[in-house]
Amino acid sequence: MVNIVFKFFIAISCLLIFRGLLAEPLLDGADFDYGEYLSGQCLTCHQNSSDEGIPAINGAEALYIAKKLILYKNKELENEVMQLVAGALDKEQIASLAIYFNSLEK
Amino acid sequence: MNNLSRRSFVSFALASTSLLAMPAISTGSARPKVVVVGGGAGGATAARYIAKDSKGAIDVTLIEASKHYYTCFYSNLYLGGFRDYDSIGHSYDNLSANHGVNVVHDWAISVDSSARKVRLGSGATVSYDRLVLSPGIDIKYDSIDGYSVEAQTKMPHAWKSGTQVKVLRDQVLNMPKGGTFAMVPPPNPYRCPPGPYERISMVAHILKEKNPTAKIVVIDPKDKFSKQGLFMAGWEKHYPGMVEWIDNDTHGGIKNVNPETMEIETDLDTFKADVACVVPAQRAGAIAMNAGVTDGDWSPIVPASMQTKADSNIYVLGDASVASAMPKSGFSANSQAKVAANHIRGELTDSRVFPAKFSNTCWSLVATNDGIKVGANYKAGEEKIEVVDKFVSKTDEGNAKRKKTYEESIGWYNGITTDMFS
Repeated sequence: MVNIVFKFFIAISCLLIFRGLLAEPLLDGADFDYGEYLSGQCLTCHQNSSDEGIPAINGAEALYIAKKLILYKNKELENEVMQLVAGALDKEQIASLAIYFNSLEK
Repeated sequence: MNNLSRRSFVSFALASTSLLAMPAISTGSARPKVVVVGGGAGGATAARYIAKDSKGAIDVTLIEASKHYYTCFYSNLYLGGFRDYDSIGHSYDNLSANHGVNVVHDWAISVDSSARKVRLGSGATVSYDRLVLSPGIDIKYDSIDGYSVEAQTKMPHAWKSGTQVKVLRDQVLNMPKGGTFAMVPPPNPYRCPPGPYERISMVAHILKEKNPTAKIVVIDPKDKFSKQGLFMAGWEKHYPGMVEWIDNDTHGGIKNVNPETMEIETDLDTFKADVACVVPAQRAGAIAMNAGVTDGDWSPIVPASMQTKADSNIYVLGDASVASAMPKSGFSANSQAKVAANHIRGELTDSRVFPAKFSNTCWSLVATNDGIKVGANYKAGEEKIEVVDKFVSKTDEGNAKRKKTYEESIGWYNGITTDMFS
């Protein structure tokens, strides 16, 4: 009996640790449809047809996008337009944009 | 009767005589129908997003007279020799091929809002469940004494891109040595607030190289203008002594223009020009007037959706709308189109509707590699679109930053035209 409880405990612990590794707090609350709508604001400038002057971001890693947006939001990266856009996004919106752009073809 | 209203009248007369013989344009489906009038930054974007995001669930028709659209944004860069003419022209082919938009090259003449039908120049009618009007501006030719449709070849306004900008460029290139270029900017509100001053910069750029003793005089009906400090510092830096800006308070008001003598008369003085760009006051494109959704010169809208206050089945985008704090720009129209597209899809297909979010940035080129910008974020207030946050370039920025801003504007041009036409 003790053995079974111990195995169960180990299994649950492993599951929780594994989930912890997988789940990325920056992407918590991501909503794909919301990301698709919000992306409209980005797509005025960011298109994969051109990488000149403004980077193409379709298909970029979700975490990369989220981290960049947070850096712009905190004004740790320079660019007035991006600081303005990111400054008006909350955590859920950043996560939603990150997973949406990640889903697009490079 | 001005050119546009004359054309409208002729079209209307033709439409009236052939009304009984003309069939309605049928798209042969029971899908909800959206008709978009005007294929610019507002209309092309709205048509593309509604068709693309509804994945065929909505039948979208775009009515646009021109087969090729020449963007108003960047037409100043063509004028200054930074772009060739073809590079600012775009076709509608991809909207049909990639998203199934039914593109009809015709004029929209009138709207029967109770029957929900648009009548075209051909006499045909198109029915709609929701109508999006994005007609841009019409020029109020009679807002300046002496100006007219005929005058526009001698004193081009060149405020709707296309061939007028070509005419103006030829005139500047062929101006007599040491001659005078006069610019009369429009009064508020008008399309592209920094546009007249970017235009002055581009003309100065040409003259500095080809005609360095020439002068530019700006006879403004306003006492201040967009990015004024940045432009004036740029003119002094790149074109010292060439540009004289005279505000309304100083010249006392523009009394009239004379295209025959190339004179512009103000209370203060009469200015004689060799080349003159005269941009009169503006109003919403005629179809917004005909649809009965305007109040005065522009169309009031509900900020959360871009529906008109007069008719909830009709949306007005871009220059023609009263967008409060948002300037009349291609970027604004593109941004508003996405809010409207999301709302229309929600109404017609029960898709999720998200809160309106608007943004705008206007880039201007002052000289080679000297780009400046102004931008803002907006939200939908109860009555008005309201500023959330904003920025403007600084006068003491270094050359590297200005070059980067110009390069960013190229990225934006490629981005927005892809967003409209791909």
